[in-house]
Amino acid sequence: MTTTCDESRGSRALASLTELGRGGVQPLTPAELDQGLNALHARIATRRVRHRQMVRWSLVGAAVLLSTLVVFQFASLSRSYWSAAEPPALAYQIEGGNVLEGGYLRASGDGGIKLAFNEGSEFELTPGTRGRLRSVDEAGARVAIENGTAHFQVTHSSNRRWVVEVGPFLVAVKGTVFTVSWDQQRERFELSLQRGRVDVSGPISDGNLALRAGQRLVVDLAKGETRIIEGLPERALAEGAGGTDLPVATRSTSRASEAADEPSGPTPSASPSTSKGAKAKHERRWAEELASGNWDRILEDVERAGVGVTLSSASSEELFALADAARYRRRPELAHEALLAQRRRFPGSLRALFLLGRVEESRGGGIARAIAWYDQYLARAPAGAYAAEALGRKMTITSKAGGPAKARPIARGYLRRFPQGSYAASARAILRVP
Amino acid sequence: MAARECGDDTAARRSHLSLVVGRDRRSTTDADLARALVAREAWAITETWHRFAPMVLTMAERCLGSKPDAEDIAQEVFYRVFRKAKTLRNPDCLRSFIYSFAIRTLRTELRRRRLRSWLMFEPELPSDVATSTLDVEARDHLRRFYGLLDRLKPRDRLVFVLRRMESMTMEETAGHLDISVSTVKRSMARASNRLSRWIEADSGLAGLFDGERGER
Repeated sequence: MTTTCDESRGSRALASLTELGRGGVQPLTPAELDQGLNALHARIATRRVRHRQMVRWSLVGAAVLLSTLVVFQFASLSRSYWSAAEPPALAYQIEGGNVLEGGYLRASGDGGIKLAFNEGSEFELTPGTRGRLRSVDEAGARVAIENGTAHFQVTHSSNRRWVVEVGPFLVAVKGTVFTVSWDQQRERFELSLQRGRVDVSGPISDGNLALRAGQRLVVDLAKGETRIIEGLPERALAEGAGGTDLPVATRSTSRASEAADEPSGPTPSASPSTSKGAKAKHERRWAEELASGNWDRILEDVERAGVGVTLSSASSEELFALADAARYRRRPELAHEALLAQRRRFPGSLRALFLLGRVEESRGGGIARAIAWYDQYLARAPAGAYAAEALGRKMTITSKAGGPAKARPIARGYLRRFPQGSYAASARAILRVP
Repeated sequence: MAARECGDDTAARRSHLSLVVGRDRRSTTDADLARALVAREAWAITETWHRFAPMVLTMAERCLGSKPDAEDIAQEVFYRVFRKAKTLRNPDCLRSFIYSFAIRTLRTELRRRRLRSWLMFEPELPSDVATSTLDVEARDHLRRFYGLLDRLKPRDRLVFVLRRMESMTMEETAGHLDISVSTVKRSMARASNRLSRWIEADSGLAGLFDGERGER
């Protein structure tokens, strides 16, 4: 009861106080209104001045910031220019021998001779190999192998160029690991590429060949044979050092092992075709032609039978052989068709995805499509045989097309997954660009 | 003189002279006044102030309990109105446009005060409570009353002022504060209960009106 009474007392007092507050406000006189208006004008003027000052200071701040950025950019550019213009000279250390007049590399014992460069590159001549160090300067190094076998491990650098003369052949090296040999007596050249890329020029059928990781090039000048053998780099290395040739059947073996590495899908032998025996014979023949460098014979076969018929009836292996022959003969459109047919008819084989990316690159203007193929391959075979190459290619063409900034995330991803990969140096270079 | 009053406003702006508002300006509709504000006509500032400043000043003084603070709020409100005049979509709604600016500015001010009182650990009493027409004792009561209002949350206080002192309906209050009617009801009930309780606990305030009634 008391509470209710208190509440009503409080409410009554509240009503009275509210009324007091409401009624206590007196209307303004005209003089007070004018005074308020003057104060308002003064406030507007003050704020306007303050606003102008703020704008002015903001502009000054922006100009200072911009100048600082320009100065930094200029400093960074000039630094990179000078560093690009004047890379430090190459220096090297010799183990197991010395360099004589004319750059001749003479081994002091039976263990061969090894040269290690300050930039991380090194090469080693196997015992009995004759070679010369033609030149070493800030632009790179030039080495000649007159007879025998040498193993190279070259650190990639955009400022330096490594060239290896091997008998009558010239090997232009980017960041890479390879073993090369030249048998002067038999006129036999052999190069096994473990990592990276090399361009080989000389007396070979097409004049110039670009090799990728895992390929082996064998040229027998006496027989007039040029062969590119896929896969088995370790074995090729081991055998290449001995100068022995891989049997042609190696190609079939390597293809079979690649197919097994990739996710499920119909194997070539399961493809719809005529009789199994005839098919296998045909496959073997194209594989042999390809390995022997007789690419034109494959293309002639296709022309004879008709491209459409071949694409719809050839086995998976045949389509790969056709695509390879077309690529080596600079016919990217035909290679593209063959690989598309391969994809359509044998969707389980993922290698075609990667090769389609390569073909799109060589067709020109197909960068977006090439990236899309690489992405498909990486999505379906993240640990596949071509994953490092696909990611590296994607990074390279993204950088070329959209600049290093766009390629940075890919470069980071590449280094995370393949820190020792053949594109690692390129990835680091992309990340270094401001 | 008449020619100057009815003359070209652009010319007037060029010569940095402001026109004295004539009768024609006073009879301008709110919509035309709004359009003139958007066009940054010099006379529109003066006319807007004369037409709406009393409304804003009264509400601000009722809400804050201090005339100087109310004047400061009013100037800030009109400064913002002139700056943001272009955002007025419907010129017919100039009055409610100004009202919404006033309420927003008041809410900001109340929040600022509340924050300051928290930081200073003591409530801030209004220094100058209206008005010269009240006697000393009534002014003292009013000062204590505004001290209690300061203890309310800004939104509850605004709801209380708009409902009780500005005599707005639930819907109008909700519209101006951009809240639902049920929220207005809850805020109003909370503010009234708390104020009644606090007044009851203040023997000077609660007893005063009993005494007054007893004397009558």
